[in-house]
Amino acid sequence: MSTSATLQTATTASASESTRAIVIAALLGLGLVFMTGFAPAMALHNAAHDFRHTQNFPCH
Amino acid sequence: MTIRLLSAALVAGFLAAVVATGLQFALTSPLILKAEVYEEQAAKQASLASPFAGLIVPAHGGEHHEHGAAEEWQPAPGVERMAYTGLATLVGGVGYALLLGAAMLALRRQPSPEIGLAFGIAGFLCVALAPAMGLPPELPGMGSAPLGIRQAWWLMTALATAVGLYLIAVRRVPLTIAGGLALIMAPHLVGAPFVVEESRLPAALAAQFAARSLGISLVFWAVIGLAYGWAWHLFGEREAARRSHA
Repeated sequence: MSTSATLQTATTASASESTRAIVIAALLGLGLVFMTGFAPAMALHNAAHDFRHTQNFPCH
Repeated sequence: MTIRLLSAALVAGFLAAVVATGLQFALTSPLILKAEVYEEQAAKQASLASPFAGLIVPAHGGEHHEHGAAEEWQPAPGVERMAYTGLATLVGGVGYALLLGAAMLALRRQPSPEIGLAFGIAGFLCVALAPAMGLPPELPGMGSAPLGIRQAWWLMTALATAVGLYLIAVRRVPLTIAGGLALIMAPHLVGAPFVVEESRLPAALAAQFAARSLGISLVFWAVIGLAYGWAWHLFGEREAARRSHA
């Protein structure tokens, strides 16, 4: 009984921990991909130009 | 867990960027440089052909490929440009690796090189192959629809393919499989904003670029997935070792 209770607490704790990890990683990942692939700022576009073309992000 | 995910994504993004940057320098950057020669020629011809050239913004090339004085910043040709290409590949690779890690954790898949490879191929299908079916990888100087419309279609296609693959591969019952297939096909039935314009760029060059671009994307994603699975275990062992010492 106590073992299952401990397991449950551990699962809940790791569930909230993994939710936090998912949210942080997803937001950070989207931010980085947006910056390299979509950001309209001309300097960013020019810096990432060849990468954008090769990775088939719509360019220009 | 957050630190472990971020660390694994950094390692995976870095390794994938090293491989993909090398492939880009060898296979696609030379084609981009060749295409820019045609693009500049076309821009010059357009300005010679029309007496009102000064009033007209060239359809494509004039914006940021010409080397005018009032030009926006761009990396100098040669090493600087290659360095920025490498940097962009690194940032993009880490970004993709983070999304891959988040997806794996959200779907409760224990990362391993095998699972990582499967997710990497799914990533390739979502952001490389599916959008490329409608909007093939383009060289500079090829005519195309307005940028905003193409970006919207690209994003819609990537998202629809991702949700579709989830319904097919994870949910895996007849109803969701049918729904997933419909979702994957939907953007293509709607139709991509693809236009064909006259261009002096040899078609063979564009075809070679499209094939190489997709090949590099596949390798990029495969390495991201494999390396993420490997790095996840690497950082897990360290975490465990630290805990047992404490």
